[in-house]
Amino acid sequence: MGEVIVITSGKGGVGKTTTTANIGTGLAAMGYKVALLDTDIGLRNLDVVLGLENRIVYDIVDVTSGNCRLKQALIKDKRLEGLHLLPAAQTKDKTAVSPEQMCQLCEDLKSDFDFVIIDCPAGIEQGFRNAIAGADKAVVVTTPEVSAVRDADRIIGLLEAADLREPKLIINRIRPKMVRQGDMMGIEDIIDILAVDLLGVIPEDEMIVITTNRGEPVVTDQNTRAGQAYQNIVRRVAGDEVPMMNLDEETGFFKKLKKIIGLK
Amino acid sequence: MAYIKESAQGDILSGFGQGSQADDNLFDENTILVQRTLRSGQSVRYSGNVVILGDVNPGAEVTATGNIIVMGALRGVVHAGANGDETTVVMAFRLNPTQLRIANHITRPPDNEKVDMDLPEIARIKDGVVTIEAFQTGGERQGKAI
Ligand SMILES: Nc1ncnc2c1ncn2[C@@H]1O[C@H](COP(=O)(O)OP(=O)(O)OP(=O)(O)O)[C@@H](O)[C@H]1O
Ligand SMILES: [Mg+2]
Repeated sequence: MGEVIVITSGKGGVGKTTTTANIGTGLAAMGYKVALLDTDIGLRNLDVVLGLENRIVYDIVDVTSGNCRLKQALIKDKRLEGLHLLPAAQTKDKTAVSPEQMCQLCEDLKSDFDFVIIDCPAGIEQGFRNAIAGADKAVVVTTPEVSAVRDADRIIGLLEAADLREPKLIINRIRPKMVRQGDMMGIEDIIDILAVDLLGVIPEDEMIVITTNRGEPVVTDQNTRAGQAYQNIVRRVAGDEVPMMNLDEETGFFKKLKKIIGLK
Repeated sequence: MAYIKESAQGDILSGFGQGSQADDNLFDENTILVQRTLRSGQSVRYSGNVVILGDVNPGAEVTATGNIIVMGALRGVVHAGANGDETTVVMAFRLNPTQLRIANHITRPPDNEKVDMDLPEIARIKDGVVTIEAFQTGGERQGKAI
């Protein structure tokens, strides 16, 4: 029996889809059987981020309304054997699926997959309620901005009310230099307010944009900081203990280099 | 003394005290104990005193006709003495509210000053203005409530 994990945030554009694609890809690369579920009906994205858009025939609404069988709608990833995507419908809206249908869908997927990762739409309305309906665990994504943290707090409250307790937190797009200068909320500030466990921190990294446009999640490139950060998160989701990565770019290769050439 | 652990919907928790109990000599009104952190969008409304065993985060609201005590960080909006009782107080381990109201006095922290006091403080009306002081145990009596 697999585990259903919903990736949610409240605020839009903070990295839910990116996170879903990367966690899913990373788990599949470790050999797990993974199904990704895009519940952002009407604003479908996950297929694009994975480079699978041109393979879509059926979508989630076709499955829940009985137009096709689940197996027919699941798209196989082009690189990873164990990775599958159930795309969102683009021409319908969030009310085309009910929470009860989502529960059933999650149950069906759970029996076939080790992990079912759900990409939740922004907001707290029906799309959100659908996305969390069948989930066993929740991951909340935020960025180090006051408004995103506020929305994450609201979401955590709603998750708790829906009996999804102890959600895990991902802080995305952190810029260590800005934090150091006091221009950006730090990890401690965010944890202090949200009081939940940290699953990982992803630095701001233009490689995310580049890899997303290519349709290849950044986790497949371990030479990038964001790729390493996502890989650590993937291992934590799989149950490994992984220490938090030092995000201070100054302590890495470049600092050594600077020392050698005498800049600092 | 009323005791509520969790609200039905988790979103709003409201109620009214049933009139004070004869054996309750700590508070002369009913008191509700909220055993969790109030997150953004959640609120507690109570006719009586409210004690929160957790934080009150930004975007959360507590309204009470009596006193409000937060055994954690108060960062949201609170209103004590909501029916006009000027003798009520607000106390928190970290008193950092977005806005603090007692009876019909409304206060907020100064706009460009950020003092993050790491000690319990108490807000009450003194000579017609809301005053915030460090909370002292023992010695001086802390108003009618404590
Ligand atoms: N760590 C990062 N560094 C740089 N860019 C990032 C990072 N994370 C996300 N982005 C970019 O931010 C944008 C929004 O990301 P994404 O689509 O994953 O957010 P979302 O939460 O799914 O948004 P929506 O609420 O619209 O569904 C994308 O263009 C993505 O490439
Ligand atoms: Mg998205």
